[in-house]
Amino acid sequence: MATNGAGQRYRTWYSRLLRLYPQPFRERFGEGMVQTFHDLCREYRDAGRDVFGLSLRIFFETSVGIVRENVSHMSQTGNTLLRAALVALGLLMVPLVASQMVDDWHWGVGGFVFAYIMFFGTALAYALIARHMGAWAYKAGVGLALVAGFVLGWGSMVHLSESDNPVNFVYFGVLAVGGVGAWLVRLEARGMARALFAMAGVMAVVGVLAVTLPWDAPSGPMRSVAVLHGIFVALFTASGLLFRQASLARLK
Amino acid sequence: MALMNTVQAPLTPAVLHILLALSAGALHGYRIMKQVEADSQGKTKMGPGTLYGSMGRMMEAGLIRESDKRVDPEMDDERRIYYALTGAGRAALEAELGRYRGVVAVAEGRLSYGH
Repeated sequence: MATNGAGQRYRTWYSRLLRLYPQPFRERFGEGMVQTFHDLCREYRDAGRDVFGLSLRIFFETSVGIVRENVSHMSQTGNTLLRAALVALGLLMVPLVASQMVDDWHWGVGGFVFAYIMFFGTALAYALIARHMGAWAYKAGVGLALVAGFVLGWGSMVHLSESDNPVNFVYFGVLAVGGVGAWLVRLEARGMARALFAMAGVMAVVGVLAVTLPWDAPSGPMRSVAVLHGIFVALFTASGLLFRQASLARLK
Repeated sequence: MALMNTVQAPLTPAVLHILLALSAGALHGYRIMKQVEADSQGKTKMGPGTLYGSMGRMMEAGLIRESDKRVDPEMDDERRIYYALTGAGRAALEAELGRYRGVVAVAEGRLSYGH
């Protein structure tokens, strides 16, 4: 009959074995699997049955599961990459076709390559983040945040290339708030809502500063600046509300 | 959707048993195993690898969801993650049972005709 010490040792070894699962699977089920293993060992120990034999069986069965999940994960990752590449290619058709029809559109090869990388990165980020949760509100929140972030990042880069005004770097700070926030909360819905609200808050502050600080600009563009900032604040807030909705739905 | 295809009827025995085990209410991993064993009169015994692998696919297909994390009053004071059926999971279980009933009706009709 196994002692508590032996049971603890088996549990530790089992935890180590679970490290071989793909990370998303391990994060989702690792804790529950260790508990279940522990419960089975305790059942066998209390019944005076062979815990060592049970542990061997479960280690073997779990090893088979590890191989299966890794194969499935690799196949899913390959499919995700392919889908993101195709979506990016589809999106690239927009500037490609537009450049043939608009006279003032003079992108070089580098511009299209850069646009493709941006599209691919955004599509891949959506696929990888959105699969964390099945709720439509979470997926919609991710989509809205990425589209708004993409447009903000793209617009800021265009401004920087045209005006060399370093003030435009502040918008990358807004994106950084979202990126760091998402990383800190590990993409959890309630935390993501806070990260998006923080982005909206920072964007609002930047907007107020942009409108109130003494710039040498006519009132027309100032109004446009205020409206543009307002749109981004609304988009980030709406995305935050969608994440909040996903978080509340998860609690029900 | 590829994930959905993996759990469309006919369901695998593991998926069917897990749906059946959760049809009476939310359970944690160990209780699901024990319920599956009881429902199958000991004929189906799942290890954690099979159980959680199947549950991962079922969660991605929207058949089950994480319910909450709480202490099982009949066990120790460790908090356990509970899983519950979703509406889609209950519908999939009912559809599968309907399919079984159809097969049994055909089989019984054919066997009684044979006699």
